[in-house]
Amino acid sequence: MATVQVSEAEKVYILHGIRDDLRVDGRGCEDYRHMEIETDVVSNTDGSAKVSLGHTAVLVGIKAEIGKPRPMAPNEGYLEFFVDCSANATPEFEGRGGEELGKELSNTLYKVFNNKHSVDLKKLCISKGEHCWVLYVDVLLLQCDGNLYDAMSVAIKAALFSTKIPKVHISNDEEGGKEIELSDDPFDCMRLDVENVPCIVTLCKVGHRHVVDATLQEKACSVASLIISVTHKGTVTCVRKMGGGSLDPESIFEMTETGKRVGKALHVPLMKLLQQEESLGTRQKVGFLG
Amino acid sequence: MLKSKTFVKKTRGGRVMKIVREHYLRDDIWCGSEACDQCRQESTVLQREACIESNLCSFSHYLVPDTNVVLHQIDVLEDPVICNVVILQTVLQEVRHRSAPVYKRLKDLIHEEERHFYTFTNEHHRETFIEREPGESANDRNDRAIRVAAKWYSEHLAKPDDPKLVLLTNDVANKQKAQESGLLVYKFEEYVKGLIANPELVDRLALSNDDKNDIASSRVLFPEHLPLSRIQAGIKSGSFLQGTFKASRDNYLEAKVFIQKDEEDGTEVLIQGLQHLNRAVHQDVVAVQLLPRSQWAAPSSVMLQDVGSAKDDTTTEEEEQEEDALISCGGDVDRKPTGKIVGIIKRNWRPFCGMLNISQIKESTRHLFTPADRCIPRIRIETRQASTLAGQRIMVAIDGWPKDSRYPNGHFVRTLGVAGEKETEEEVLLLEHDVPHQAFSQAVLSFLPKMPWSIKPEDIVGREDLRHLTVCSVDPPGCTDIDDALHCRELANGNFEVGVHIADVTHFIRPGNALDKEAANRGTTVYLCGKRIDMVPELLSSNLCSLRSNVDRLSFSSIWEMNQKAEVVKTRFTKSVINSKASLTYAEAQMRIDDTGKNDDITKSLRGLNKLAKILKKRRIEKGALTLSSLEVRFHMDSETHDPIELQTKELMETNSMVEEFMLLANISVAQKIYDEFAECALLRKHPAPPPSNYDILLKAAKSKDVLLRTDSAKALADSLEAANVDGFAYFNTLLRILATRCMMQAVYFCSGMDNDFHHYGLASPIYTHFTSPIRRYADIIVHRLLAVAIGADSTYPDLTDKHKQSALCTNLNYRHKMSQYAQRASVAFHTQLFFKSRGVLSEEGFVLFVRKNAIIVLIPKFGLEGTVFFDGKDKSGLNLVFDEEYPSLTVERHTFRIFDRVKVTVSLDDSNIQHQKIRMALTEPVIPGVSVSATAGETQNKKPRLDS
Repeated sequence: MATVQVSEAEKVYILHGIRDDLRVDGRGCEDYRHMEIETDVVSNTDGSAKVSLGHTAVLVGIKAEIGKPRPMAPNEGYLEFFVDCSANATPEFEGRGGEELGKELSNTLYKVFNNKHSVDLKKLCISKGEHCWVLYVDVLLLQCDGNLYDAMSVAIKAALFSTKIPKVHISNDEEGGKEIELSDDPFDCMRLDVENVPCIVTLCKVGHRHVVDATLQEKACSVASLIISVTHKGTVTCVRKMGGGSLDPESIFEMTETGKRVGKALHVPLMKLLQQEESLGTRQKVGFLG
Repeated sequence: MLKSKTFVKKTRGGRVMKIVREHYLRDDIWCGSEACDQCRQESTVLQREACIESNLCSFSHYLVPDTNVVLHQIDVLEDPVICNVVILQTVLQEVRHRSAPVYKRLKDLIHEEERHFYTFTNEHHRETFIEREPGESANDRNDRAIRVAAKWYSEHLAKPDDPKLVLLTNDVANKQKAQESGLLVYKFEEYVKGLIANPELVDRLALSNDDKNDIASSRVLFPEHLPLSRIQAGIKSGSFLQGTFKASRDNYLEAKVFIQKDEEDGTEVLIQGLQHLNRAVHQDVVAVQLLPRSQWAAPSSVMLQDVGSAKDDTTTEEEEQEEDALISCGGDVDRKPTGKIVGIIKRNWRPFCGMLNISQIKESTRHLFTPADRCIPRIRIETRQASTLAGQRIMVAIDGWPKDSRYPNGHFVRTLGVAGEKETEEEVLLLEHDVPHQAFSQAVLSFLPKMPWSIKPEDIVGREDLRHLTVCSVDPPGCTDIDDALHCRELANGNFEVGVHIADVTHFIRPGNALDKEAANRGTTVYLCGKRIDMVPELLSSNLCSLRSNVDRLSFSSIWEMNQKAEVVKTRFTKSVINSKASLTYAEAQMRIDDTGKNDDITKSLRGLNKLAKILKKRRIEKGALTLSSLEVRFHMDSETHDPIELQTKELMETNSMVEEFMLLANISVAQKIYDEFAECALLRKHPAPPPSNYDILLKAAKSKDVLLRTDSAKALADSLEAANVDGFAYFNTLLRILATRCMMQAVYFCSGMDNDFHHYGLASPIYTHFTSPIRRYADIIVHRLLAVAIGADSTYPDLTDKHKQSALCTNLNYRHKMSQYAQRASVAFHTQLFFKSRGVLSEEGFVLFVRKNAIIVLIPKFGLEGTVFFDGKDKSGLNLVFDEEYPSLTVERHTFRIFDRVKVTVSLDDSNIQHQKIRMALTEPVIPGVSVSATAGETQNKKPRLDS
């Protein structure tokens, strides 16, 4: 993970600021940095989104492919995650440097998103036990400036929102053979309901307080952080502690409460924004030759 | 400007892919019109004064046809009257997608300068490109694209004296939308009918859907075809079989489907009855469902010809009876897998030659068309010029075959000329046999050597100079494409040096150029009576490559040293230069050999060859080579009219077999050489041993005369044929050999890397190829190239050693070879008819060759002519026919016909049906009341049937 060196004096400065609910860049403890969301950015995916949060930038692409349902859930489809830590983000990722982080990130994402409470997995089933849609979620880290989880979760939610899966139907012939038929109309497609898709809120324990959306400097001052995935109703679906330091139960409880509050507040403008963008219609394409 | 095209596609593996293509629009696509002054185009295609005389559009106008108009009405569009047409890219792409042949014809049209067809790339034009909208089908989008482009044109050419745009569509909805947007639009029929001075064009209109409805009765005659998706699923699951549909020539209610499977050899499925045939046409690729075993049937031996009328009052009693007769027949033993057609995978319709049956109802515009090929059903067409077309050979294309119509619907394409005239009939038989017979194109001719041509010093490099040898050629009279010459001389050691010199065609035809491609496509020269369709241009075939006497010619020589016992001591191949000393006919050569007074070099050489050939032949026959027989006839042509004036069966002389022996020897030597050198890609020829069941008919026939034939090997067959003789029946042996020939398989070319059975059954040779006639066979050209590479006389090229390419080539060569044989036979048949036309009724003696359920087939040796005597039909109903299949015999009333029975028949030309003129045979002896006719008026009817001796 990208890290910055912070001197002792800087550390004190940051700690003191947070204690007084005033962070180095002027935010309060529960404020996010400026966030930009753009959906439908990669034309050869079925759904995509690009999110930048401060200087953190994440690109998510979703490809829908037909696969076989998992034996335990024959009437559900599933999601697969892959996080690519591009060396563009930070030189440390060069070669296989980002592999471990990528693995860790994708495992967490899998836990958070691949369950029937977040995404309607039944809708992804085409024929029970035989065919289902598999959504391959590819996350590309373009730039790391702290708080990767939050940025990724927002991007995934936005990408799922923009995902258009071609409609298929199964035709049965008399011999019982099944054939997948594809709709001829490219506009005839299935959309996913993303209302219950959670967002991740990362809370960093800095001193005695905790902050959301920590920058790299703030992160350097923190010993432990908690990642909480929260739905629009404020339900916590996943909690995970990161970092080497310890957290006492009291502060975990406090942090969870903050996470719920912040997460709930995050969903509303996000959905509004996505719908607004959708209503704008397709953008004029700009090619290589302009 | 960039747009992207997105579509979803299902892959073969069942996956779904989203494909995105970038699509760039430009603003430098010009309209192509002379009348335009905005576009900065360098040259224009469309004329300013674009006048097609028409009632509808009296002004200058351009036509914009939509996709369906192009697809279905290409025959009309090809008419020279139609010009100044804008072909939109949308249309071109769709046509390309839907029909390759139509696409090719359209491309040809666009290239014809005087027709002024302009391709407007509307899909890349900034102002005419449209994107598919939600809820819009692909077709609707294309229709809209066409309308938008047409609209753009009409706004682009807006000056009052500019040509107007006329959109042609048959789609009602499209037409309406176009009208709403202010376009000038007509249905194609409307427009064509409005053309002044071209009434015949109307006939070429393909019937569109709404026309069909009023033709067909409401009754559904055929089961619905399954959709392609169901068919594919069925083929995958094995419940349907895919195969090529082959209609029976003799029985319109019967057909076979050849099932192609990857590994195994093809199997056959029998289809019987109109319902089961379900509108499949000869050569279509179809899906078949097998019937339960209890419903399997045996192929019938009845000959049935469709005689139904143009109306759809089908399944008349007559037909039902015919179908009944068909189903009830056949013993359990002969039952074959039987099926029914459930769907058509690919139609293989082409324009068919044939003639019109004028409808009996006057003023009717609907007529039935009878194709010349009996495998093709009759086609209903609409024409107003029936009276002009009567008696003419015409071409007709099928448009479709609705399930409620007894016959397919089609339209008139063009006329070929008056039926019965030689030129017309020749054209017909070339077209019907798919023989490429157009004049050679300029591109092809450009690769010919420049005349005057002579052998240049660089041509001789690497060649052996054999001009001093006494080489001569022996060919049939009138032969101008001499591709082989021979020489023989005694060597000092008492051995003979024998040389076979073959025209070096590959010196002139270099691989890969247009000339080579054309020759590869034609595959073979086709010999018709009095006409030759060359494989290579005449300059080569009759001059530069023809080994004429007393000129220097390039050749490829195979030279052996043989001892007195005709055993080969040494073989070598070389490119050479020869100078033939004489071009002889078989008869001339024979005379020289026989004339003891002659003792010149040529004669001595011939005698040597003849002597060796006899030994070679004897040895070959001992090995088990078959001498089979088929009657070939030669016509003596009138030099003025080119009509046949005399008919003669071909006579074989010693010299025939002399030349043949050495050609065989050369072919075998070369085959061995190229196989040794190129084990994977030698082009060889094989003749598979026939399956034992093929011999059934021959064995049964021989048994009827108490002759036992053995067919376990070629040698056994040859020997037992040799021994098969019946006293007092000298012709019996020849007849047996004729029958044996028909049991044989086709010899085929193949690539040695793709097969492992090389045996040539007929010649009893383990390996064989064709080397000796490169002027008239393309296979020989490839063999020449292989051999040239093998001896280091020429360089190789990639395709030569690619066994898959070569295998594909072999397929074409085999097909062309087969078709050329059919064409040849058809030509002989036609000339036989011409011959009998001038002769009136002749009475001849013949032999029963086959016995069918309702007919006997009679061979007249004198003319090599075969004909059928029917025992049923309109005027001969109610005869008591008993057919015994085990011992092929047919009892008519009280007389029993067996194979080889001697009969007397009258032969005459039956031109009552001008569509299919045929030789009619009528029985005169034995006399059967109600069947036989009297040869002369005086003969009495109650003469006892003469039983066969």
